[in-house]
Amino acid sequence: MGVVLRNLQNVVPLRRARLRKDVETLRHILGIQKFDLGVICVDNRKIQRINNIYRNKNMPTDVLSFPFYEELRPGKLPCPLYRDELNLGDIFLGVEYLMKQCQQQSQDLHGILTSVTAHGICHLLGYRHETEEEWKEMLQKESYILNEFNRFTGRQLVPLTKKCSQDG
Amino acid sequence: MLKTLSRAVSSAVRISTTSSTRVLHPLRTSALCSPNSGTVRPFTRSLWMMSDAGASSGYRPKLFRSKGPSPVSRGCVSLHTEGDKAFGDFLSDEMKEEKKLQKSKTLPQMSGGWALEQNGTEAKLIRTLSGEKVTVTFNVNNSVPPNFEEEAEQAQGQKSTESEPDIVSTPNFVVEVTKPAAKHSLVFDCHYPEDEVSHGEGEEESDIFSIREVSFQPEGDGEWKETAYTLNTDSLDWALYDHLMDFLADRGVDNTFADELIELSTAMEHHEYIKFLEDLSGFVKCN
Repeated sequence: MGVVLRNLQNVVPLRRARLRKDVETLRHILGIQKFDLGVICVDNRKIQRINNIYRNKNMPTDVLSFPFYEELRPGKLPCPLYRDELNLGDIFLGVEYLMKQCQQQSQDLHGILTSVTAHGICHLLGYRHETEEEWKEMLQKESYILNEFNRFTGRQLVPLTKKCSQDG
Repeated sequence: MLKTLSRAVSSAVRISTTSSTRVLHPLRTSALCSPNSGTVRPFTRSLWMMSDAGASSGYRPKLFRSKGPSPVSRGCVSLHTEGDKAFGDFLSDEMKEEKKLQKSKTLPQMSGGWALEQNGTEAKLIRTLSGEKVTVTFNVNNSVPPNFEEEAEQAQGQKSTESEPDIVSTPNFVVEVTKPAAKHSLVFDCHYPEDEVSHGEGEEESDIFSIREVSFQPEGDGEWKETAYTLNTDSLDWALYDHLMDFLADRGVDNTFADELIELSTAMEHHEYIKFLEDLSGFVKCN
């Protein structure tokens, strides 16, 4: 198993292979290759609906994470007994929302998608940003991940955490 | 399977019912037809069976008694029963309703410069991009998936509070990519997800469309090469699958295309259905 990638929208043209490759690099950096992960790209309508159902926020957002393990200590990898439990959860990427952000900030979409996915993976690993302390811890982790990513790939991605405080 | 797809695309699987079988039996005795009637018409097998079934319910199909040329169709020597008349009336109503539902008499346009060629229920969308020819072939026959949820509700006698669901056509489609001066085309058998056709706010979990099989085939409409290796995506490396999807997207076969194809196919299917009703009405009435 590995990364289950789905593109459920037709608003933003995506390069699936490129996104998958970046996500695989993130998994390698975090040492989570043995865990399954879902990355689902959706439009504003869909992410708004999910945001409304699960967070009572009727608006589109950039990313929503649904951890398989809900009580993980930040950064502590789960030790499942069964193969079925080698799963970290799903990340929904609001690609339409992110595309608009990229256009406003003149950024590369796929770079943003990778940064946002790193943020989402941190949530799946138990990181939160509801308190100042949590926020610092998560920012530190994200920075580490993206610095390593930039070192491998020569790109210049920056953490999402320092910009975002709304997703979950 | 891609191997039989070319045949599947061009010819739908039809299950013929016994009621459509036409075997005429000569009329021996009849309690249905007065011995003084002007004509004695043979029963079809289905009518014979219906009269058997009708015996218990008291229903007897009646023949029109013509006293000369039939008022329904001048010079028509085929069977005309009250059932046929009722059928014809039903078809007239059905055609009226279907035409009301028809969004437009013309087919929706595909974006991206695709040229449409239609041959009955089969259609081809063709596009040329930097010398590469991309052809997408689909057939609207058997392209409307059954709505099991609605059928189950009806079976249980539950009245649906909403109006009848829209009929949506989601045909399998074959994409052929031919590079200039190439002997072979790269052929993709693509499907829409089963049981997950979007009905507005459904929880879709699958990609809008998927590639099922990939194969190299001789260029043109020649014989399908059975001995060509066919890649099945069921157990394919996911990275390779994504590259194949990106390959199609670069040639205009992306999620937007897939959504527009549903619109086009649905309109085509509806158009063909109405045409079929018209032909059926004409046939029943002998027009």
